[in-house]
Amino acid sequence: MSWKGIHRWLGLTVGTLAVVLGVSGAMLAIDPVQQAWQAPTAPGGLPVATLVERVTRTVPGAEEIRHLPSGAIVVFSFAGDQPQAQYVDPADGRVLGAWQASALPRWVKNLHRSLLLGDAGRWGAAGIALAMALLCISALVLLLRRMGGWRQLAARVRGSLAQRIHVVAGRVVLLVLCLSAITALTMSASTLGLVTLDARTEPEVLSVIAGQPALPGAQLAALQTLVVQDLRKLNFPGAADPEDTWKVTTTQGQGWIDRYSGQMLAWQDATLAQRVYDWAVVLHTGEAAWPWAVVLGLVGASVLLFWLSGLVIWWQARRQAPRITGNTTLAQADVLIFVASEGGSTWGFAQTLQDALNQCGHRVHTGALEHFQTTAATRQVFVLAATYGEGQAPAHARQALAHIATRTASAVPVTVLGFGDRQFPAFCAFAKALDQTLRAHAWPALLPLECIHQQSGQQFARWGVALAEALGEPLVLEHVPPVPATTALTLIGRQDFVGAAGQATSILRFAWPAQGLGARLRGQGLAPFAAGDLVGIVPPGSAVPRYYSLASGWQDGFLEICVRQMPGGLCSTHLLGLQTGGLITAFIRPNPGFALPHQRKPVLLIGAGTGVAPLAGFIRRNDRRTPMHLYFGGRDPAQDFYFHPDIQRWLGEGRLATLHTAFSRVPDGGGYVQDALRQDAEFVRSLVAQGALVRVCGSRAMAQGVAEALDTVLAPLQLSVAKLKSRERYAEDVF
Amino acid sequence: MSKPILTMLATACALAVPALAHSRQVTLTAQLKDYGGNGAYVAAYLTDAKGAYVRTLWVAGGKAKYHKHLSDWSRLSAGDARRLDGVTGASVGAGRTLKVTADLADALIDAGYEIRLDAAVEDMRDSPSEVRMPLSTANVGKPQAGKQYIQSVTLQLK
Repeated sequence: MSWKGIHRWLGLTVGTLAVVLGVSGAMLAIDPVQQAWQAPTAPGGLPVATLVERVTRTVPGAEEIRHLPSGAIVVFSFAGDQPQAQYVDPADGRVLGAWQASALPRWVKNLHRSLLLGDAGRWGAAGIALAMALLCISALVLLLRRMGGWRQLAARVRGSLAQRIHVVAGRVVLLVLCLSAITALTMSASTLGLVTLDARTEPEVLSVIAGQPALPGAQLAALQTLVVQDLRKLNFPGAADPEDTWKVTTTQGQGWIDRYSGQMLAWQDATLAQRVYDWAVVLHTGEAAWPWAVVLGLVGASVLLFWLSGLVIWWQARRQAPRITGNTTLAQADVLIFVASEGGSTWGFAQTLQDALNQCGHRVHTGALEHFQTTAATRQVFVLAATYGEGQAPAHARQALAHIATRTASAVPVTVLGFGDRQFPAFCAFAKALDQTLRAHAWPALLPLECIHQQSGQQFARWGVALAEALGEPLVLEHVPPVPATTALTLIGRQDFVGAAGQATSILRFAWPAQGLGARLRGQGLAPFAAGDLVGIVPPGSAVPRYYSLASGWQDGFLEICVRQMPGGLCSTHLLGLQTGGLITAFIRPNPGFALPHQRKPVLLIGAGTGVAPLAGFIRRNDRRTPMHLYFGGRDPAQDFYFHPDIQRWLGEGRLATLHTAFSRVPDGGGYVQDALRQDAEFVRSLVAQGALVRVCGSRAMAQGVAEALDTVLAPLQLSVAKLKSRERYAEDVF
Repeated sequence: MSKPILTMLATACALAVPALAHSRQVTLTAQLKDYGGNGAYVAAYLTDAKGAYVRTLWVAGGKAKYHKHLSDWSRLSAGDARRLDGVTGASVGAGRTLKVTADLADALIDAGYEIRLDAAVEDMRDSPSEVRMPLSTANVGKPQAGKQYIQSVTLQLK
């Protein structure tokens, strides 16, 4: 089973019980914290003899002194018939109050170590600890794989909320959780009798009665040289038994002292197993240091968080699991589709492609990429491949590349379609690697490699047009990804522009219906959003949503987008035709890689045309007056300088530090926005040298031009766009 | 609050003296206090007139790791490799009763032998020689109190 399989199935099964241990463990962490406040810590250098002298003065009939791991001193004695345990101030021997081993009910500890099931439960708890250790190890492997290695471990985590919670919390507590599991196993091993801590028996020693009176504890040489920090326990000799001895237990071992001569009669060093066990107890319980107990408590409680978020992740993946309908057997199919998918969404595209090919009369077989092969009946092969993490293959297809490399090529064309996200530096890296491997092994292709960004239905449809042409068949790919619950938004205002190249453009402002708290808790209604996130709009007559970058945030109280008329565009025509009061059907799609984190470093915003919209949203919400610098590129200030009055106002308010414009269609306009960057190379370099974040929004060509310009500008700093991207300082939103 | 009383019957047959005609069944009934802790480990054993260990009658509590807390028994019985053979059972909960029966040779009774009980409870103080009770007919039916954990021990002879 793969690491992922181990992690998932252990987490879903044993993880449920681990929650019980985690939460009860968190409760047990209260004890060390509470005890730390109850009594003063004994100074480590205090001779035990002095402590004994003080204690015997204040506690007559003391039988045992314990130096607790917390540092406090507890004295056991009898008051008449009544056994007593009291905290004692080591400074003067003063009795401070009664001692109790735990403030919690006993069942909490018993639940934690044996699930209240006695010895069978102890085996069970040890099994859970073992499972937890395995969960931690598999988690580390998966974490490194997801983040792209040790050096990327601290990088920003992408994915759904549940995934982010799981990964972010995981990288914080993983090692402590693993330590807890290992120390638990160490303790279990001795409790269950698998390891013997100390097989020796106590030596048969007696005090030698030679006529002189017994020495008071303060005069025992062995106790004068022993300091409190090494002491664990000191047992006084019994009053009724003249041959009884003192027994002292220290971190190093235990010794027996003659009550008359003060001689050390016998000494046993602590065994290695005992010392390991003692350390395991300290690390597992935090009893010696309350801040560590607090850490352990939080980590224990986090098990619940991992289990819940893990459950959600599993459920989400399950809902996206492939369910291909209308599949032909491999041997009969003339078209094969192989899929490599991490989250499962790529299977949806495969289904759309299969349905379209079926309609054209093909017999299609869809399968997972690791089963890549061709048969005598095969005429076309399509590989739909997503990329995971830093360019890796999805888990199930990890061996696929090596597998394909071993197969001899046939004349059957194999076409690769990649799926990925441009936020990741290694965009579609796995699909590219697949395509290269196939070409290197002389497989022909019907179409060159195409990479679909963020599951874009439009881009997929365009690829479908190319495919139809290449096949010479009337094939239409209309992929309908599952659309989240939508909300009806009302147009409340619009600003119209002539627009670039005569394509009418408007800034549209919408309001959302009032939503009660109950509805929001249930996740109904419009999700909260920030500038830079996307709004998906489902136009009438189509089920495929179009995405627009948001120029406002939830806090602004309105939803604003900038829409340009696309020739024959269904959605843009619908939007630009709206009158005030008109309704649209919309939902929010987070774009976490593009949103600005909270920080004080300068921000370099580069936008062209309607791409200025999310950047305007950033500036609008810049209440902290972070130095933001905007490079805006347009054609003609009279036609497409979107947000111009707002931008001027924000400059005045200090929300925007500097504005640099470039207009390509007016004399002395400054050319393209990348020309402006090259011209201001010195300034741009100084911003990046200060640690500036860069956000670029506009067309694909514009983003390409900007990246090239910046690579030139940043070369003297030994920096590049790729490096900035890998450090999460550079993000693009392209359309 | 009264706790249900569980009686644990322990019969130390393995160590029974073969000549049954010359042996008597000894029953010890130990009632534990409500000391408010986990189950107590209790060792019941026999020492001779000089205080030397003779044999173990019963050890309640099965984890060898904790047996050293029954410190007198653990020390005195160290030489008896078979001290645990057939005479172990579960620890005894607070407020419950432990009943130990053993067949002892007639010659041991009223001969200076002593029955001793060590007790220990997790996180609480060890109580070696919690009870020391002469094995004599005079003691039969007379409850004797322990130091910390045992409310009373009663000896019966058959």
